[in-house]
Amino acid sequence: MKSTPRILVAMLLGATATTGSAFAAGTHPVTGETLAEHQVFTYRVLDEHSSVDPQIVEDVSGSDIVRDLFEGLMNQDAQGSLVHGTATSYTVSDDKLTYTFSLREDAKWSNGDPVVAGDFVYAWRRAVSPELASPYSWFMELMSIENAAGIIAGDVPVDELGVSAPDDRMLVVRLSQPLPYFPQMVTHATTFPVNPAVVEAHGADWTKPENIVSNGAYVLTEHIPNERSVRERNPMYWDAENVILEKTVALVINDENTALTRWLAGELDRTEVPAGQFPWLQKEYPGEAISFPRLCNYYYTFNLSASGPEAFRDVRVRKALALAVDRKIITENILAGGQIEAFTFTPAATAEFEVPDVEIASISQAERDARAKTLLAEAGYGPDNPLKFDMVYNTSESHKKIAVAMSQMWKQKLGVETSLANMEWKTFLEVRANQDFELARGAWCGDYNEASTFLDLLTSPSGYNDGKYSNAMVDELMTLARIADDTQAIYTRVEQEIADDVPIIPIYHYAGVYMMDSDVGGWPINNIEQNWYSKDLYKIAE
Amino acid sequence: MTAYIIRRILVAVPTLVILIVLCFFLMQVAPGGPFTSERPLPPQVLANIEARYGLDQPLWTQMWDYLVGIVTRFDFGPSFAYRDRDVNDIIAQGFPVTLTYGLISFVVATLAGMGIGVAAAIRHNTWLDYIAVGATFSAQALPNFVMAPILVIVFTWQLGWLPGGGWNGGQWQYLIMPVIALSTSYVASITRITRSSMLETLNSSFIRTARAKGLPEHKVIWRHAMKPAMLPVVSYLGPTFVAMITGSVVIDVYFSTGGIGRAYVDSALNRDYAVMLGVTILYGGLTVLFNLLVDVAYAWLDPKIRY
Repeated sequence: MKSTPRILVAMLLGATATTGSAFAAGTHPVTGETLAEHQVFTYRVLDEHSSVDPQIVEDVSGSDIVRDLFEGLMNQDAQGSLVHGTATSYTVSDDKLTYTFSLREDAKWSNGDPVVAGDFVYAWRRAVSPELASPYSWFMELMSIENAAGIIAGDVPVDELGVSAPDDRMLVVRLSQPLPYFPQMVTHATTFPVNPAVVEAHGADWTKPENIVSNGAYVLTEHIPNERSVRERNPMYWDAENVILEKTVALVINDENTALTRWLAGELDRTEVPAGQFPWLQKEYPGEAISFPRLCNYYYTFNLSASGPEAFRDVRVRKALALAVDRKIITENILAGGQIEAFTFTPAATAEFEVPDVEIASISQAERDARAKTLLAEAGYGPDNPLKFDMVYNTSESHKKIAVAMSQMWKQKLGVETSLANMEWKTFLEVRANQDFELARGAWCGDYNEASTFLDLLTSPSGYNDGKYSNAMVDELMTLARIADDTQAIYTRVEQEIADDVPIIPIYHYAGVYMMDSDVGGWPINNIEQNWYSKDLYKIAE
Repeated sequence: MTAYIIRRILVAVPTLVILIVLCFFLMQVAPGGPFTSERPLPPQVLANIEARYGLDQPLWTQMWDYLVGIVTRFDFGPSFAYRDRDVNDIIAQGFPVTLTYGLISFVVATLAGMGIGVAAAIRHNTWLDYIAVGATFSAQALPNFVMAPILVIVFTWQLGWLPGGGWNGGQWQYLIMPVIALSTSYVASITRITRSSMLETLNSSFIRTARAKGLPEHKVIWRHAMKPAMLPVVSYLGPTFVAMITGSVVIDVYFSTGGIGRAYVDSALNRDYAVMLGVTILYGGLTVLFNLLVDVAYAWLDPKIRY
C-alpha cells in the first residue's frame, strides 16, 4: 500500500533530521530543563484533516499541521502576540491602506529554493482565484485586500489583486479600507506562501508527502488518511538550529473515550478530556489534566423571524427563559472542565475586551428564578396556559445533557414544556439557516482575537445570524467599531443591547480541557486561539 | 451452469445501474450539501466551488457525466471533502485495510463457529454443548461497540500488550483487537446455525442408515453429515462475508484502522456525494458477486439443486 518512494523520502528526511539535532539529550537553552532523548510529540485529532494546502485548508486540525509545515509573514508566540515569521519587519502608510513587508534573506523552501516575495503573491492570488475555488477565499475579502471581492466574483482578473513584489525581499499589500488588525490576520494559514513550481508541477497532488515542498519548521513525511500524519523537522528551515522537537505525530482517533484510554496507556502526549471526566482525572493526574479559557462561546438562539413562534417575540418570555437557566449546574456538574458561566456573548478571554456588567450576572440564581417567574406570568403564561416550544441541537452526548438540563430547569421553575430534538450536523445547519426551528443551539469560535468576530454575528447582515435578530443600534455600533480607536466602549454598549433584547441565551464560554503529558514543554496555554507551533514545543527527560 | 452464471452477471448490470441512479437522487434529497458549513459560504464563493465540481449543472447532466466517467475512464469522481484525493484514492487506501481485517475475521469466525457448532452437535446435551450454547448467547449479547473499548482498556492500558489502535500497514499486533471485536458475534451466529443444522442432519434417516451399515462415527460425520449440514451455514456465510469485508464503522472508529467503513459513513455525513456513490457501487458489486458465488456453492453442496 505504501509506495516505495514515499518510504524512501521519509527515511531520507528522517535521517537528515536526526543528524541535524543539536538538542537531543541536552538542556533547554532558556528553561534549562533536561531534554528527553526522543523528541517526538504525539497527539490525538478527532477527524481526518481537510487538506494541508494552505489556501484550501478549512479546519482547525488541518491548520495546526499547516502552521508547522508553512510559515507566513508573522507568527504568534506563546501568549498569542505577534512575532516575525518570514517577514522581518513591516511598515504601514499614513492612510493605513498600504502595508510593506520585508522578507528575511535566509528563508528557504525544503528543496533549497529561496522563499521570495513572489511566492506570497502567487499564493494570495491562488487563494482568491475562482478557478481554485477555495472554501476560504472569503478570508482574503475579510482582510480587505484590494480587488479580492471582485476577483472572487469573477469580475476582475486575478493579477489585479492588491499584492505585489517589487523585489524578492519586499511584499506590498494594498487594502480597500483601513483594518487595524490586519497584521494579526497574516498569521492565518490562508496567507501562507506556496512554492509555485511545485504546485504547477503536481497539481492537486502537490500536498502528498512524496511531492510536498514547504518553508516551515517541519516537512510532511507520512500521511495515511484516517489513521495518522507525521511531520518531521525541516533542516532547511531558517531557524532550524533552534527547533528542538524532531517529530510530531497526529493520530486520528474518533472516539474520545478510546483516546483517553490510549493517553492513559502512554500512547499519546495530548488528548481532549470527555465532558464530566475532568475532576477525577485532575485528582489522579495532577498537573497533567489542564484547563484554560478558549475563544469560543455556547448559546441558544431564538428564532425571531416570521417563522418563529409568537411567544418569542415578547422580550419578557426570552428574558424569563434566559434567567431561569442555572449555568452553574451546567458548567460545574455536567461539563466540569473549567468552563465559564456566560451571561454575555463575547468570551472574557478575548484580547482587549472586558466583559461588561449586566444585571443578570450580578444577582443570585434564586433572584433570577423569582424574576423569571414574574416575567413569564406578566407575559401571560402560567399553569393554565403553559409556554410550549421545540428545542433543537446537533447530535452529541454533551449537547444532549445540556439541553435536557435546561428543559428540566424550565419545567421545574416555570412550568414550561419543551420538546427536544437532536439532528445530524448538516441537517441541523440547514434547519437553522432556513429558520425552520424555534430555539436552536449555537456556538462560535473566534476567527481572530478581537470582540467583533463574535459581536458581528448578531448584526442584521451577518450570514450566521440564524435567529434573524435585528437591532439598528447594534448594526450601527458595529460599523462604527471598525474605524474607532476605543472599541471597548462600543462593545460594552453592544453587549448591553444584547442583554436587554435577549436574542440569544448565553450558556457558557469554552475551556480547552486536555490531558497533557508532564514531559511536554512549551505548550502555549495562554494563547487563547490555541495557535500552537511544534517548533516551540519540547520533550523533557523523565 | 456456465449459461446460468452468464445470465446472472447480465442481470447484475441493470441492478447496479438502478442502484447508482437511486442512490444519486436519494443523496440529493438529504438536507444540506457538501459545502453547507457552520459559517455559510458567501454566495459567490459557493458558486465558484459548485462550478468547479460541475454541481451547477442539472442533475441529469451530472448523473450522465458521472456514468460516462465510470465507463470510459474508470473515474468515480472527486471527493468534495478532501481536495487532494479522489474516490479511487479513498477506496484504494481504505478497502485493502478493510479487506485484510475482514478476511481474517471471516476465516476466524467461520473456523471457530463451525468447529464449535459441530462439536456441540456431536456432544449434544453434554457439558461441552452447554458451554458452547451459553458462550454464544453471551457473545451475541455483547455488541462490538461495547467490546471494542473494553478490549482497549484491558489489552492496551491495563496489560500493555497491544497498541490501542492504528494500522501500521497491517502488522499482526494491530490486527488482533479488530479481529476479535469484529468476529465474536459472527462466531456466535455461525456456531448456533451449524449446531442446529448438524443436529437436524444427524437425526435424519440417511445418517441412521450410514450408522446401521457399521461406518465409524467420524466417517458418518465427515462423509455424510457434513455436506448437507453446511447448506444453511453457507447461505449465511455469503452475506456475512460481504458484511465483513466491506467493513465496520465501529471497528474503524474504535481502532483507527483507516478502513473503508469509516470513509463511507463520513461521506454520508459530509454529503461527499461521489465518495458515497463510489463505495455504494463497490458494496453493491460485491454483494451481487457473492450472492452468485453462494448460489454456485449451493449447487455443489446440494445435488438436488440444478440451474
